Amino acid sequence: MQLTVNAYRPFLTKFQSLIALFILCLGISLLSDKFLTVANFWNVLRQISVNVCISTGMTLVVLTAGIDLSVGSVLALSGAITAGLLRNGIQLPSANLYIGFTLLGATLAGLVTGSGLGWFNGWAITRFKLPPFVATLAMLTIARGLTMLWTEGFPITGLGDSFTFLGTGWFLGIPLPVWLSGIIVAVAVLITNKTRLGRYIYAIGGSESAARLSGVNINKIKIAVYSIAGALAAVGGLLVTSRLDSAQPNAGTSYELDSIAAVVIGGTSLSGGRGSILGTVQGAIIIGVLNNGLVLLNVSPFWQQVVKGFVILLAVIIDKSNSKAE
Amino acid sequence: MQKNSLKYAVLLVLLGVVAYNSVYFKKLDEVKANAGSNTDQKFDAAAYAQTFWTSKLLPASASSATDLSALLSSLKTDKTKAFDNSHALGIGNIRYFLVKGEGKITAIGDNDVTVSLLTGETVNLATEYIFGNAARDASGLIKITEFDNTTDLNNVSAELNNIIRKKVLPPFKASAKTGSTVKFVGAIELNKEHLHLENLEVIPISIEVH
Repeated sequence: MQLTVNAYRPFLTKFQSLIALFILCLGISLLSDKFLTVANFWNVLRQISVNVCISTGMTLVVLTAGIDLSVGSVLALSGAITAGLLRNGIQLPSANLYIGFTLLGATLAGLVTGSGLGWFNGWAITRFKLPPFVATLAMLTIARGLTMLWTEGFPITGLGDSFTFLGTGWFLGIPLPVWLSGIIVAVAVLITNKTRLGRYIYAIGGSESAARLSGVNINKIKIAVYSIAGALAAVGGLLVTSRLDSAQPNAGTSYELDSIAAVVIGGTSLSGGRGSILGTVQGAIIIGVLNNGLVLLNVSPFWQQVVKGFVILLAVIIDKSNSKAE
Repeated sequence: MQKNSLKYAVLLVLLGVVAYNSVYFKKLDEVKANAGSNTDQKFDAAAYAQTFWTSKLLPASASSATDLSALLSSLKTDKTKAFDNSHALGIGNIRYFLVKGEGKITAIGDNDVTVSLLTGETVNLATEYIFGNAARDASGLIKITEFDNTTDLNNVSAELNNIIRKKVLPPFKASAKTGSTVKFVGAIELNKEHLHLENLEVIPISIEVH
């Protein structure tokens, strides 16, 4: 029996996320006739688009053996900055000047905000040798506070049809958020598999000291990775704001947990150096399908949290078991 | 060296094009004048609701309310088509209808008045708990883009519900008697995915008792 398990272990390890997803889909489709419908399929894909964007950045961070707890707050602030500039511009009464922002300008401002906050995370971690957990936890609070200050605690609504098209529109029969997250995933896969930056990211996560001795500029790569994570959180913020036609001051709360869950379930090791973007996408789909299934099955939101927690725990236990076996 | 200069020049031009298409400048007083100085004024939900009530909702009640009996029948036979007459400001399954009906009062309770429609269905006219967004959203005449934030939007709902409590309900409660005939226009809320037509509650907008 032990022999049989060992013989199949490489297969099971390689396809564990897909097997889990298949079992999950099968179980939910048996329990709910609304699950395997075209409308629900697009609904799930649209819902996970935001998490896919954030989790892609989170994967890069985790591959360097780091963590970014600030993505949810960065998402909220970036979305709020975009919405605020688009709706109200900047007013300078002393100079009798109004600086208006076009859709392009406001969107770029949101992206610059996200990548700027990510850059600050990377800088704080490398400059002061802070544990990523602490530095990004601080940013979580800072960005949330800045969001409250910028919005004065109120949602910013009425952003116009051209902006909401990003989150609600379709192109070639596929929702735009799905296109966007797909493009981001494709670029991230290219970066991790085919570029020097990708190899350095894996090298830093595998052994930081070995990478340093090999001449890799650790600080530069880490700052780049946290900046990318911030920028992708900002893309998530744009999608959420656009979809709701509203920038909510409490948007993105606990999104960092869903994102870390997707990364872990997707097989990326929290100790760095091992994992993949496509694995994370599978993790995000599992989280999305799980959320969707629990709602379709009328499971109480309180129990949903419990179930998700156990799924993450199970994923980490399997990851540990795989590491030992290897 | 020359290659680098060319690279920086192209980058600069590119940045200039992006910046030119990203921001624009105006005199602040002109912008405020164009916006009707609304930027500095606090939104008056009560005034907005009063104007909306008299100039939009009551005329719409008279002209475009859906017959409740016909709607109930349509919901049972072709739900998707029936929901074409519904309105809502957001996405989701909760939808609102502006409806009209006529029937006999069969019971008067603490919280509502039960009316048996001419076609036999029974509905409840709410007389105590007037909450939610039904009165605001049922006509489909309010657009979310008219508001700076959702607090203003929600305050409009609260003010419309206040109007119903103060102007519509007191005369109705005073004249409602079991056996009387009533003609009403009101708003109802239905869940498109989980449709329940039993104990249907109507938020009254106008009622005539005969």
